[in-house]
Amino acid sequence: MNLLGIWIASFLTLCIFSFLYKDNPFFRFAESLFAGVSLGYYIGQEADQTIRPNLIEPLRTNFAGNWDLLIPALIGVNLYTRYIPKANWWARWSLAIYVGYYVGVNMVQKLHGEVLPQMQSTVVPLSLSAGPMGLLNNLILIAGVLSVLIYFFFSLEHKGAVGLTSRVGIWFLMLGFGAAFGYTVMGRVSLLIGRLNYLITQWAMGTVDALGRLL
Amino acid sequence: MDWLNRLMALDRRWIFLLVAIGTALPIIFPIGFKVSVTPPAKALFDRIEQMGPDDVVLLSFDYGPSTAPENDPMADAVLRHCFSKRVKVVLLSLFPIGGVTMADQSLARVLRDFPDIRRGIDYAHLGYKSGSQATMKQMGEDIHRVFPTDRYGMALSEVPLLQRVRTYDDMKLVVSFATGIIGEWWANLINAQFHIPVAVGCTAVSAPKYYAYLQSGQMVGLLGGLKGASEYERLVIDRYPIVEAAYTRAGLYTAIKGMDAQTIIHTLILLFIIMANVAFFAGRGRAAQAKR
Repeated sequence: MNLLGIWIASFLTLCIFSFLYKDNPFFRFAESLFAGVSLGYYIGQEADQTIRPNLIEPLRTNFAGNWDLLIPALIGVNLYTRYIPKANWWARWSLAIYVGYYVGVNMVQKLHGEVLPQMQSTVVPLSLSAGPMGLLNNLILIAGVLSVLIYFFFSLEHKGAVGLTSRVGIWFLMLGFGAAFGYTVMGRVSLLIGRLNYLITQWAMGTVDALGRLL
Repeated sequence: MDWLNRLMALDRRWIFLLVAIGTALPIIFPIGFKVSVTPPAKALFDRIEQMGPDDVVLLSFDYGPSTAPENDPMADAVLRHCFSKRVKVVLLSLFPIGGVTMADQSLARVLRDFPDIRRGIDYAHLGYKSGSQATMKQMGEDIHRVFPTDRYGMALSEVPLLQRVRTYDDMKLVVSFATGIIGEWWANLINAQFHIPVAVGCTAVSAPKYYAYLQSGQMVGLLGGLKGASEYERLVIDRYPIVEAAYTRAGLYTAIKGMDAQTIIHTLILLFIIMANVAFFAGRGRAAQAKR
């Protein structure tokens, strides 16, 4: 039974890989199946791991103590009124609450968790107290931040000193993009390694082992 | 210069085939390239190494099957490290498409080598919860309210380990194995608001942006892609030789094994880039000559 599952997974992997040769019905079948299974899995997980333990069970076991859960439940269900032509504007109320909450969270999160700490981390000592390598690192950091900021400063024409600094900024950006691209290659290759490892060790070797046991 | 035209017109499917062969050969015939350890991985290792049996680490499985070849080895390695140190572990997932299944599978793989680790006492599995940032923030107030039951349907008040774990204050570290933005939220929302140390094991694609959080001190460690995972595996094997048996088991996919293929393919890609540039510039020079 385990081997059957491995064969199905391997067949679907090969269906997806077949796109590298050219588009074909096997690829489209595997792609559609993946989309459908993912959606089914998602609905199942949401129902089993969130809606049941956090809504249904508390209401069923202690309605008087948990009646307030009906409020978020109704706000959620109200989102679906958009499919009723005469009442579709009701959904906007739920959406407004949803958007309002996440705008509030994100605003604080971006400022408190990104902008301020990142600004603070660029305030570094330009002295030998950080050691020679530390000083070099700090100089590169400050030069990079300032030159890239100037590159994105469009109120001044990029000529003379501003132009030169913005060109340095482009070099820093290119180095950043290069590092990102290198990591992207590594990530994609890792996924290929994972799948080929599965095909070789689980499918090919697993099938040979199973045949060996049978014979 | 006929070779130049042929090189420029090369069907890219030949490159795909070469990459496939270059990946498959080291899997069949492992080479065993040396793995060097970088400071971000060592920092996470040292952080867990300093913990004791009363300390609790939260492991958040924020990835799905689409990035399992990168995230699985790092999750397994960190879990093996925690269980070797007898550090208590709380697992959960905030990633909807497969996160909780990844946690289940990682736990199953690692528990094979730790038969004396007990559910509910040495580790607890909270399962998956939707709500992302809202869930993470609420966990800072009361985990028992967010997760009324654990993955196995047991009330949290009945799980011995969770009786003393109610908020982030009761934990020493959060490690998120992340494929997308959820890892960032641990750093820029939970670390910023609740000051719990955060480390992230991320996919290689998203690694560059995490270095900014590491540099600013919002994260205490980083495992970037398969390379980061292989570094952590190396650290755990070197410190706990008993774990080595698990990593040499036939058929088990590990990051150290994967790095053999990774190194070969990177060399191959570098050669392709050099060849393509030579062909491009030679072709441009020839076109300029023809013009004159």
